[in-house]
Amino acid sequence: MADMAVQSDVMEAAGPYDRAKALSAFKLGDLTFYWITRISAISVLLILGGIILSLIVGAWPAMKEYGFAFLWTQRWAPSADPPVLGALGPIYGTLITSVIAMLIAIPVGIGIAVFLTELCPQVLRRPIGIAIELLAGIPSIIYGMWGFFVLGPFLANTFQPFMIRIFEGVPVLGAVFAGPPSYLSLFNAALILAIMVLPFITAISVDVFKTVPPVLKEAAYGMGCTTWEVVRSVVIPYTRVGVIGGIMLALGRALGETMAVTFIIGNSFRISSSIFAPGTTISAAIASEFAESDGLHQSGLILLGLLLFVLTFFVLAGARLMLMRLEQKAGK
Amino acid sequence: MTELSVSTTAAGHVPQVPLPEAPPKVTVRNLNFYYGEHHALKNINLTLGTNRVTAFIGPSGCGKSTLLRIFNRMYDLYPGQRAVGQLMLDQTNILDPKLDLNLLRARVGMVFQKPTPFPMTIYENIAFGIRLYEKISKSEMDDRVEKALRGGALWNEVKDKLNASGLSLSGGQQQRLCIARTVAVRPEVILFDEPCSALDPISTAKVEELIQELSEDYTIAIVTHNMQQAARVSDKTAFMYLGELIEFDDTNKIFTSPSDRRTQDYITGRFG
Repeated sequence: MADMAVQSDVMEAAGPYDRAKALSAFKLGDLTFYWITRISAISVLLILGGIILSLIVGAWPAMKEYGFAFLWTQRWAPSADPPVLGALGPIYGTLITSVIAMLIAIPVGIGIAVFLTELCPQVLRRPIGIAIELLAGIPSIIYGMWGFFVLGPFLANTFQPFMIRIFEGVPVLGAVFAGPPSYLSLFNAALILAIMVLPFITAISVDVFKTVPPVLKEAAYGMGCTTWEVVRSVVIPYTRVGVIGGIMLALGRALGETMAVTFIIGNSFRISSSIFAPGTTISAAIASEFAESDGLHQSGLILLGLLLFVLTFFVLAGARLMLMRLEQKAGK
Repeated sequence: MTELSVSTTAAGHVPQVPLPEAPPKVTVRNLNFYYGEHHALKNINLTLGTNRVTAFIGPSGCGKSTLLRIFNRMYDLYPGQRAVGQLMLDQTNILDPKLDLNLLRARVGMVFQKPTPFPMTIYENIAFGIRLYEKISKSEMDDRVEKALRGGALWNEVKDKLNASGLSLSGGQQQRLCIARTVAVRPEVILFDEPCSALDPISTAKVEELIQELSEDYTIAIVTHNMQQAARVSDKTAFMYLGELIEFDDTNKIFTSPSDRRTQDYITGRFG
């Protein structure tokens, strides 16, 4: 109030000249605001660039030593002389655990979201919603311990023998499930990852499903669609950008998740055809070896980190491409 | 002004002599409707004549859209809403809890206030509904889509871009796409819930013309806030007020010599 009174006094007293002065004060504020936001935005670029640069600098000795062969060498022998380092094992492990995790988490996560938004009785909505949020809040080390003490034994003693019985002798699948039982395995890690990323997919899907205009759904129901048809042909196409965004966020988390995976994957650099065999991922390898590494070994681990960075970048780029394709297909 | 220009294009359709009484397609007897505790419709009695256009007018909140949404049980999507009374579509009891809703909604199509094209191509928007009920070959489907788009008076405008998104059309075109989509399923009754309220006058005229044409093959119910529109397109008009059906008669009679005072006040603009 007081400000306004003062301002109008000034205006009445001195006319247009002072008005310009008042405006120039605003201009200064505006300019400050502009620069603060601009610097904030630029700082993101600087930080990103700095991280990439330091990764490249740190990885340089290993890059010079191994070149592109680093990508397809399986042997990882840091204590040999000279050390032999190859990233094939961790890359394979990272991709396979993430893919299995997403294969499980996407249908289950979207299924939960559909249930919550379209089918769930009002009374169940909140409990289920809260349970999913809690799932996201559990620290990853707890998942790791649970995977180690509960899920691992179950998979090794019950699930794997069951799968072996079914698929024994079947050409490719037989090998996928074969091998001695082990608490620590790629599949164990993938399952844990699936549970960890589930809340991301569900929460984002629920949010975007809620943005579908009721009248659009009514129009589809009004033609005689079942709930399944409405979800498949209207809700998901309408929200596909958001849903894929959620999936990519989840995939990013799955690719980079470290603690839980390090706990239960077994840290073996050997590639085995069986998903019940121990393996390793890029982040698990770095976490378990970085503390006692030096020289070329350390540089190799940094190079692994750079690879994870690049991998994630390609996944995001792939997602963009897929969205563009989808939009073309929908006729935009 | 805009109203005037529209009425000159479509006014010719108004029958000066009322059409003969048509056999009833939908019969409403003592229908009551509740939103939770709120009693939204009170003892409604009326019939929709076969291949006739019935207009529902009345001030906002009088329950005309609510009534329309009972005809295809759209209210079923929302918990806490219920209808009591008798509502027959030919020999089918629409309010039967065991009724197959998908089948009912195939027989009773609906066009909404805002255009609601589905997020797919123009072709798919039409084919989608047909595929729900029929398995037909690609060439048959092409025929059906063309026929439906012609039925929606849209074919000439979109025949070269059937693979464009339904969302790329203008508002009026989108609404006609929705009408074509509804017609493609071959319903018996079509419900229009203020179909022109989001459209410009030219699109409105096109849609009104379309409704006239459709009434040769379908039984039509239309909710509108535009009284000239009701006068132009409908054979019978129902005036509703505060959840009650005040007057239901030939459109000509309603707009020239209504028998209820409230109807007269409403159509002359004294309230509403």
